[in-house]
Amino acid sequence: MAEKLGFYFDQTLCTGCKACSVACKDKHDHAVGISWRRVAEYAGGTWQQDGDTVVPNVFSYYTSIACNHCEDPICVRVCPTTAMSQGEDGIVTIDQTKCVGCRYCEWACPYSAPQLNAATGHMTKCDMCADYRAEGQDPACVAACPSRALGWGPIDELRAKHGTLAAVEPLPDPAITRPRLVITPHRDAQPTGSGTGFVANPGEL
Amino acid sequence: MNTHELPMIIFTVLAQMSVGAFVVLGVVQVVAGRRFGKESVDKVTDPALYAIGPALVLGLIASMFHMNDVFHTLNVVRHLGSSWLSREIVFGLLFAGLGFLFAVVQWFKWGSPRLRQALAALTALVGLTLVYVMSMIYYTLETVPAWHSWATPAQFFTTTFLLGSLAVGAAFMGALMWRRRAAAKSGNVFHVDDATRTMLSSCLKGIGLGAVALLGVEFVIIPMHISGLSAAGGAAGRSALVFSGVWFIARLVLVFLGAGLLAVFLYRYATPTAQVRTLAIIATSAFVLVLAGELIGRSLFYDSMVRIGM
Repeated sequence: MAEKLGFYFDQTLCTGCKACSVACKDKHDHAVGISWRRVAEYAGGTWQQDGDTVVPNVFSYYTSIACNHCEDPICVRVCPTTAMSQGEDGIVTIDQTKCVGCRYCEWACPYSAPQLNAATGHMTKCDMCADYRAEGQDPACVAACPSRALGWGPIDELRAKHGTLAAVEPLPDPAITRPRLVITPHRDAQPTGSGTGFVANPGEL
Repeated sequence: MNTHELPMIIFTVLAQMSVGAFVVLGVVQVVAGRRFGKESVDKVTDPALYAIGPALVLGLIASMFHMNDVFHTLNVVRHLGSSWLSREIVFGLLFAGLGFLFAVVQWFKWGSPRLRQALAALTALVGLTLVYVMSMIYYTLETVPAWHSWATPAQFFTTTFLLGSLAVGAAFMGALMWRRRAAAKSGNVFHVDDATRTMLSSCLKGIGLGAVALLGVEFVIIPMHISGLSAAGGAAGRSALVFSGVWFIARLVLVFLGAGLLAVFLYRYATPTAQVRTLAIIATSAFVLVLAGELIGRSLFYDSMVRIGM
């Protein structure tokens, strides 16, 4: 059996420059409105009392997310046409000859991975740059990251090396779709479901 | 107000109304048939039965506009084993097909009454399953808290029976008025016999009573759903904010006027000696108001699609 692939992301290195998003858009020549890889800025804060002084205690960190090629992909489950399917290597792709563009996968995915191409009427999504990988290159987003915060590879290797964390705000509970994603958390990373902060750039996601 | 989900709003409301109307007609057939005889009941219920067809077909056509590539529409039945959307299309077509078959055998009076009754029961069962399947499309999305709630099936079934019964009431009176006008045009005086009058008035009484009861159910579901979402916070809390403002109020007021005020009027005014014209106006306005209210309600339902995650 082929090894299942996944992404790795290091929150402690990301500066929120969005070179990954732009590299992805450029490589796939996306129209305005389609963005397979997006960078969420999660921010929040409280007041902290230190003796007689009350000081602000704030945080902000970035999370770069594309499709996580989940172990239990909800998009594949709900797709009425079987256009959405998972390959031997765990990569979830859309058969453009089958997709009806009903957007049910878009409603279902908690990572906003499937996105509609209005020109074709079909859904589109990240395939981890299958063409680049076939030529032995890294996916465009991984190659573009100036701080080397992104990685990809067989998920078992990534998990052995970096742990299994994927439950960090603003990401959903990983139990729902079991994403093939490993995160090295920022020092202020908030656990999923804590709701202590907010997404500061919702318009970019 | 959500307008880009218009195809889904029209499809879900019309399909549920069709199922509800079919079931309510079945109840009228069974209950009234025992009292007034099958023949005279058929005369009243048949026009309403034939009116369901166009409504359902209109809904199914509307649903096609939800597809961004209509040429791939036939693919939507490929994933029956896993996708509730595939199941919805299959049950929708099955209900339409069986309903059409029943309408045909009823028109030509083919087969024994017993056989036709069995076909009607099967059609009703498939219809109710369709409403259940429709609700599961939304209920099973655990990533959308406003939909992943008991309120989704509860609301869908309430819409089904509320709109279904009021549509039947409006259709009964509409058919009667149409016959009266046709008779007047050809210079005859239209006469409704006493048995039909008694039957119609008791049907309308029942519909009025049912509508008030269902309004009560709906007015319990709505606040419980909203308070549940607000209490959960996060994405759920954000989706609860959709259920406020002018459109939400308009929806409540419309449904209350139709299924509350006018349904009570209908219940009290529907007597064998009542003015046919007045009854027709009450029954039709109640239906139109509730239809408008439920369409707005469904639009808000699609607006409440706030996903967890990012």
